[in-house]
Amino acid sequence: MGRLTRPHLVEAAIWLAIVVIFFAFSFEFNQPIEIYIFGATAWPRVIIILLLVAAVGNLFYQYKHGSATQEGRVGVAVSDDGADFGDPATRNKMIAVLVVPFLFAWLLKPVGIYFAAPFFIAAIIWLFGEHRLRPILIMTAVIYVIFLGLFLVVLNAPLPQGNTSPFYGYSAWILKMNTKLQGLW
Amino acid sequence: MIENFLAGSAALFGDWTTISIFVFGVIGGMLFGAIPGVSMLTLAAILLPFTAGLTAAQGVMLFAVIYCTGTYGGAITAILFNIPGAPENAPTAFDGYPMTQQGKSGKAVGAAVLCSAIGGVASALVMMAATEPLAQWAISNIGPPEIFALVFFGLAVASSVGARTIWKGWISVLIGLLIATIGQDPVGGINRYNFGVSDLAAGIAFVPAILGFFAVSEIFVQAERKAGGTYVAPKVSLSFPTILELWMHKIAVIRSILVGFFCGILPGIGATLAAFMGYGEAVRWSKDRESFGKGNMEGVISSETANNAATGAAMIPLLALGLPGGALTAMMVAVFQMHDLQPGPLVFYTSPDLIWIVFAAMFYANLSILIIGVVETKTILNLLKIPFHFLAPLILMLATIGAYISRGLVLDVMVMFLAGILGYLLRRSGYSIPGIVLGLILGKIGEQNFAQGMQMVHYDLWTYFSRPICTLLIAAGTITLATSVYRAFAQAGKEA
Repeated sequence: MGRLTRPHLVEAAIWLAIVVIFFAFSFEFNQPIEIYIFGATAWPRVIIILLLVAAVGNLFYQYKHGSATQEGRVGVAVSDDGADFGDPATRNKMIAVLVVPFLFAWLLKPVGIYFAAPFFIAAIIWLFGEHRLRPILIMTAVIYVIFLGLFLVVLNAPLPQGNTSPFYGYSAWILKMNTKLQGLW
Repeated sequence: MIENFLAGSAALFGDWTTISIFVFGVIGGMLFGAIPGVSMLTLAAILLPFTAGLTAAQGVMLFAVIYCTGTYGGAITAILFNIPGAPENAPTAFDGYPMTQQGKSGKAVGAAVLCSAIGGVASALVMMAATEPLAQWAISNIGPPEIFALVFFGLAVASSVGARTIWKGWISVLIGLLIATIGQDPVGGINRYNFGVSDLAAGIAFVPAILGFFAVSEIFVQAERKAGGTYVAPKVSLSFPTILELWMHKIAVIRSILVGFFCGILPGIGATLAAFMGYGEAVRWSKDRESFGKGNMEGVISSETANNAATGAAMIPLLALGLPGGALTAMMVAVFQMHDLQPGPLVFYTSPDLIWIVFAAMFYANLSILIIGVVETKTILNLLKIPFHFLAPLILMLATIGAYISRGLVLDVMVMFLAGILGYLLRRSGYSIPGIVLGLILGKIGEQNFAQGMQMVHYDLWTYFSRPICTLLIAAGTITLATSVYRAFAQAGKEA
């Protein structure tokens, strides 16, 4: 096993899976192009082969040196202040930080940004370590007002309004308020 | 040149909207560069969709100004938090952060202000003199084979910087190239890798991907520090260095300007290479090498002069050849494209006004680092007292809107958060985010030019690679790669 650890093997397995998936899917568009003899598959397949070579090289390097940084590399941001994921509370918090934005993105279509935003803002403030209710509410309100002021009132940006009741109704009410506000000047 | 510069200055300062955009760019670049967890790239990515509402000249000028002031702003987070605002600010942290720990953050920031301004102004002057002649030469000498060769060289350089090993560097670049193959192929328009999702037929948009890889992943990195209890607030001091202290390092400044400019011309990752080489040369020529990394002000001076000297130089491949030199100049390509323009030698004939407004704005932006920098930096040092848990949701909201607004697709917001998670995990494992982004941006350009070049020479590889500039660039890229691979194996041999 040399200096290989389980994360190294997982890393290699992920690259290998990407190679296999992309190579397999390349047959879906393997059709000739009249003006170009290499067709649409040549370029992605060369990249896939090179990725396979690099992944094997990476695994070999890790077998020899573990996670050590190669000598003479420039621009490597080596940080030693990462969290200890052995602690379940830290791990769960980090998973929540990664999942909440994705959930927010998923909710944009049915719920709309105008309704979902305050909950998302409050959740992020809480996940980043502020657990006092008053500061969470005040900062959520401040950020929500900045968001509405800049993107709705000033820029009139078309944002997702949701497509289910009552969320769509709430977005429509916000937009109506904005129209009234615009009418004042 | 002087007439054009004056005309550019008149156009810049003759219109209130353009002046406002310039001032916004100067302050925004410095501010976003200086806020931990975000960078000039975050601001640029958020603003990218909104540049559609500006003229082409205003849009490109805004990005050029953000590039100059943001490169300086990134030094502040490097010095105060040990978080480089951009990869090119990484060496600034080597000595800047120890200076902060010693309670000398004001001196380090002051040195960064002055040296960024000097490096940037010098670079802007050379850029104005050199870009147009180079573009004229490029029209008759640079074709698709040369552009493909330049992309190859840029990617070879990008792969050798930013990742822990050459293999990780190449995987980063190749993942970017692979993502770029999603969508229609640039020759026959055949759909590739849309996995049954119709919105993917247009490919992965640059803006959400860039926002995800840079801004969102940085938020996740900060979240990890918060969760692990390793987030440390900086010690703030406001005592700037004296003129005499800075004068003692004049040789380091001149050396770093030269290093920065020549590295900056390289498409791919010039400014990062410039900063590291500037720092490396400072260490090599110093009589007191041991003090570097422990709070030597010359380390900050060398790095910051070199990376700002590279900003003007990085515009040369963009404007003369149409090839971005880094992530921000790559976003400038998107600004050009949003206005139906293609950066490259012809832009000097089709839009000379745009070019000279941009040049003039970069010159004044670098000057304003000196003037506004001192005042604004003191304000920023105080703003840094705002807790990060209030900044994070604001940044994520801005990023969400930035990702959605360009195409009006919720899919783009999903792509952004997915890129953020991917970027966060890859950064933890020592991969290069700039490498991925450059692969993503240069992928389509590379494929298109390779195909056009091949059609041009009737698929004769010998003719393709016997063009002198093409041969030179392919050889340079191959040598860069071979050197990195040789080093990897030499290290293995030594340890065996």
